[in-house]
Amino acid sequence: MAQQSEHKWGMVIDLDKCIGCQACVIACQAENNVPLNTEEIFNQKRAIEWIRVERYWEGEFPNVKARFLPVLCQHCENAPCEPVCPVYATYHNQEGLNVQVYNRCVGTRYCQNNCPYHVRFFNYWTPQWPESLRNQLNPDVTVRSRGIMEKCTFCIQRIRRTTRNAKREGRKLEDGLLQPACAQACPTSTLTFGDLNDPDSKVSQLAKNSRNYKLLEKLGTDPNVIYLKKVDPKAAEELHA
Amino acid sequence: MALSRRKFLVLAGGSALGAVIFEACGVPSRELLVESPIEMPEDAVTGLDNWYATLCRQCSTSEGVIVRVIEGRAKKVEGNPDYPINLGKHSACCEAGLQALYHPDRLRGPMRRVGERGSGEFQEISWEEALDELVAELKKYRGSDADTVVLATDPLRGHLGMVAKRFADAYGARAMALEPVEQSVLRGAVKVVYGQEQLPDFDIENANHILSFGADFLSTWLSPVRFAVKYGQFRGKRPRGTFVQIESRFSATAANADEWVFIKPGYEGILALSIAQVIISERLWDAKAPPAMTGGAWAQSVQSYSPENVAKDVGIAPERIRELAREFARRKPSLALGGDLPAAHTNGSSNLSAIYALNYLVGSVGNKGGIIFNPEPPLPELPIGGGETYKQWHDMADRLRSGRPKPVNLLLVRGINPVHSLANLDFKDALNQVGKVVSFSSFMDDTTAMADLVLPEHVYLEDWGDDLPNPGPGYRLVGIQQPIVRPLYNTRSFGDILLTLAQELGMERQLPWGSFKEVLEDGAEKLFDMGKGSVKAPGFKAFWSGVLQRGGWWDVEAKSTAVAPVSPQLPEKVEKPSFAGSDGEYPFHLLPFQHPTLTDGRGAHLPWLQATPDPLTSTVWHTWIEINTVKAEEMGIKEGDVIAVESPHGTIEALAYPSRAVSPEVVCIPIGQGHTYFGRYAERRGSNVFAILAPEKNDKETGALAWAATKVRLTKTGRWARLSKFEGEGSPGIQTEERDVVQITRTES
Ligand code: SF4
Repeated sequence: MAQQSEHKWGMVIDLDKCIGCQACVIACQAENNVPLNTEEIFNQKRAIEWIRVERYWEGEFPNVKARFLPVLCQHCENAPCEPVCPVYATYHNQEGLNVQVYNRCVGTRYCQNNCPYHVRFFNYWTPQWPESLRNQLNPDVTVRSRGIMEKCTFCIQRIRRTTRNAKREGRKLEDGLLQPACAQACPTSTLTFGDLNDPDSKVSQLAKNSRNYKLLEKLGTDPNVIYLKKVDPKAAEELHA
Repeated sequence: MALSRRKFLVLAGGSALGAVIFEACGVPSRELLVESPIEMPEDAVTGLDNWYATLCRQCSTSEGVIVRVIEGRAKKVEGNPDYPINLGKHSACCEAGLQALYHPDRLRGPMRRVGERGSGEFQEISWEEALDELVAELKKYRGSDADTVVLATDPLRGHLGMVAKRFADAYGARAMALEPVEQSVLRGAVKVVYGQEQLPDFDIENANHILSFGADFLSTWLSPVRFAVKYGQFRGKRPRGTFVQIESRFSATAANADEWVFIKPGYEGILALSIAQVIISERLWDAKAPPAMTGGAWAQSVQSYSPENVAKDVGIAPERIRELAREFARRKPSLALGGDLPAAHTNGSSNLSAIYALNYLVGSVGNKGGIIFNPEPPLPELPIGGGETYKQWHDMADRLRSGRPKPVNLLLVRGINPVHSLANLDFKDALNQVGKVVSFSSFMDDTTAMADLVLPEHVYLEDWGDDLPNPGPGYRLVGIQQPIVRPLYNTRSFGDILLTLAQELGMERQLPWGSFKEVLEDGAEKLFDMGKGSVKAPGFKAFWSGVLQRGGWWDVEAKSTAVAPVSPQLPEKVEKPSFAGSDGEYPFHLLPFQHPTLTDGRGAHLPWLQATPDPLTSTVWHTWIEINTVKAEEMGIKEGDVIAVESPHGTIEALAYPSRAVSPEVVCIPIGQGHTYFGRYAERRGSNVFAILAPEKNDKETGALAWAATKVRLTKTGRWARLSKFEGEGSPGIQTEERDVVQITRTES
C-alpha cells in the first residue's frame, strides 16, 4: 500500500484562455527530449506530442467557430493504462502521478490501447538527432529507446529538483514555484499546475470553479487534470457532459 | 518558476552582485546531488544548472528570455519572468533558438565563392582573407563611388542600429532595411492619427471590449507573446470582456474572438467610417471625444458612410454594423486595433487611419483599456526599427538590374533574405548584376547562396546586443542580449565586424569602439548616469552586472507625456481597394498570412518550427492552400490535391486543405516555405507565396506592398500528395463521437 504523500499534483486547464498557440507543445518537447517529429513521422501518424492541442470545428462559414483543447496525460486516479501492464512499467505513485518506468517497459502497448485519452506514445524507432542538435538534450530526462512507451510525466524531473531544493534549504514549497514546461510557457496562463492537497494553492482554488469538468468523466478514470469550460455567451448550444 | 528561485547569472561584468538591490541568489555551495538510492529511477536528478538572461531574436519583436546552461551547453529557453514585454512567457519560436544554435547546417567560417554565382559552391577561407578582401572592395569605392555600396539589413534597433547607421554615413553607403511583412502602413497611420513616432502599447487586459480589424495579434502580429499574456488577463477578468474580430480570413486570432465577422477584403476602413457614422448620428460618443470629430467637417464627411450605404460593399448587413458600433461605444473601455490584412491593400493607410480614429470616439486614446503611447527612447541616436518600403526596394531592384542611375558595386546583406522575401521582384536575378555580394548570414539561405563572400556572424545566443522593442511596454525599456554560450564555430559578431572595417577604413572618429560589447557598455553607462530605473547600484560595474543579470533596464516611471492631438488628422474618405487580376479571370482573393511559427520564412530552417502544427489546420512541414469546403467540392478538389495557384504575376503550387472557415471568395496560403537554400529542414519544401504577389499593387500613401491585393485562379494539376498534419484518422486524439470533450457554457463564473 502506497503511503500517503504530502503532495498530490494536478492541473487546471481553463479553456476560456487557450488560444491554440502551441507554445506548450514545443516547450514540452524541448524539456523532455521528445524525438523530432519529421514529415515522415507525421504521415505515418506516429508523431509524439506529450501535450497536444486539439481543434474542434463548430458550424459552417460564416458562422464558424474553432474550439481548442489542450490534452496531456490526465494522471488518472483510476488509470486504465496501469492494470494492463504485465510488467508494472506504469504505476501510480504516491503523489498522484501516473508514472512510466522506461527500463521496465517491454513494449506490449497494452497501455496505449487502454488509454481513452490517446496520450501514450510508442517509440517505433530509435530517436535520431543530428549530432549537433544532441547538445540541446536535457540531461535530467532519459532519451527513450526504440520499443518503449512514453508520455507526459508532469515534468517529474522538475518536481524532484524543486522539491529537493526546497527540502535542502529547509523551505516550504511555495505554490507556483514548480511548473512543468508547458505551464511555464503558456502565454495566456491557461495551464495552472500545483498541489491539489494544499487547499490554498491556486490549482485547488481554480478546481473549485463552477465551470469545472473532467475529460470523458463518465469513464470513471478520475483524472487529476481538471478542465474549466469555455465561456461563449453566444454559443449555439451549451455543451455539458 | 518565480524569480526568487531563479539563479540569474552573468557571464561577464564582474561579481559585484551583492550591491545590486534586486534579489540576486548566489550559487548554493553544496551542489551536484545525485542521491536517491531508494527512489525510483525517474527521481534521478542530475548536475548543476545556471540560467542566464538574454533576448530572443528569432522574430522581429524581442522577448526577454532566460536560458538554462549546463556544462557550457544551452538546454532550454524560457521567458524571463522579469522582462516587461513577455513577463516570463514565451512562444514556440523562442524555444527554437536552441535549434538555430545547434543547427547541423550552420556556416562554420568565412567562405569565398568558387563555382558559378548561385551554384552554392564555396571554399573556406580565413577571417583575415575574408576581411582583407572586403576592405579592399570598400576602399575601391570609397569617395565618389561610395553610393554604389549598399548595406542591406533587417530593421536594426538599439546600438547595433546606431553602429550600422554611423558606418553607412561615415562611408557614404546607402543603408536600407527590409521588413518582409512591412509595418510601414501601421507606423504611418499611428503617426497621422496619434502624432506618434513609436507604436503604442495596447491595453488589452484593461479593455472591456476589443474590436480588432484583421490584426492577427495572438499569432504573429507585432508582439504576439505580449498580446497573448494580456489576452489571458483579459479573459480572466470578471465581468468578462468581449472581443470581436473583423477579418477576411479566419485567423488564429479570429478563432479566439467571441465573434468573427467576415468582411470583403479591403473594405475595413469603409466599415470603420460607417461605425463612426453610427456613433456620431446616434450620439454615442464619449465625453473625451474631440469636438472636431463629433461636430465638425469630419462628422459631416462620414455621414455618407451610413450602414445602408456601405453594407453591400463590406458584405455586412446594416443592422449588424449598427450593433457593432453600439457595442463598441457602450462597452467601454473599448479598444479598436487594426493591422495585417486591412493594411495590405491599395487603400491600406486610409483603412488603418479610419480604424485607429475610432478610439478617439470612445475616449480610448491615452486612457486605460485603450491606446497607451510609448515614450521616446532613453538614449539619443538609437533607432527603433522600421524599414524602407516595398516601393523603395522595388526601385533598388530596378537599379541593381539596370545599373541606373548608378550601378551597385557592392551589396552587404545582413539578417535578411531578399531572394525569398522579394521573390516577386525576382531579386535573385537582380543580384546577378551586382558587382559583389557579401553575406553575413549564419546559414546558407537563398540570398547567401548568391553571395561572393560570406562572413558568417554568430547566432544570437552567442552574441551581444540590445533592443528597444517597438511597440514598447508603455515605458522606457532597453533589453540586453548577452552571449550565453561560447561561439561554437569560427564566426564573429556583426557589430564587431563593422567596427573592424571602420578601423581599417580610418573611420574611428565616428566609430571609436574596439568591440561591440564596449558600445553596449557605453550606452549602459549613460543609463547608469540617469540614476533611475529597474537596476540601482553604487557603481557602474555593479549596475552593468545587474542589467545583465536582469536581462535589461527599464523605468516604469518613464512614460510618455505626449497628449493626443486636439484635432487629429483623420481620413474623410476611404477609397475602395483595387486588385491585380479581373474577377472573371481570377475569381479568388489570395490572402497570404504569416505562418504561426515560420512567420515570414525566417523560422523555416528550424525543425521544431516546421513540426509545430498550425493551430487551425494542424498542418506541418508544408505549404497548403485553404479553400472553402463547399467550393472545393464544387471544383472536385480534395485534401492533398496539388493545386496550381495562378495570379497575373506567376504560379505556385500548394496542397489543398478544404476548410469550412474560409469564405468561398477567398483562398489563404501561409508565407514561410519555398526555400531553395536554407539548410536541410527548409530546402525544397513547399512554395513561396511572395513570388506571385503583384508588385505593382502598393499602398497609395506609403508605397508598401499591398500583399492582399492579388487575385488568383486555381487549377488542379492532377497530382496528389499527403498533406502532413496532426489531426485526422489514426492520429492521437480523442476519437469519440461524443461532442462533450470541449464543454461550453454561456454564463461566466
Ligand atoms: S500554450 Fe497555452 S494558450 Fe497556447 S496552446 Fe498551449 S495551453 Fe493553449
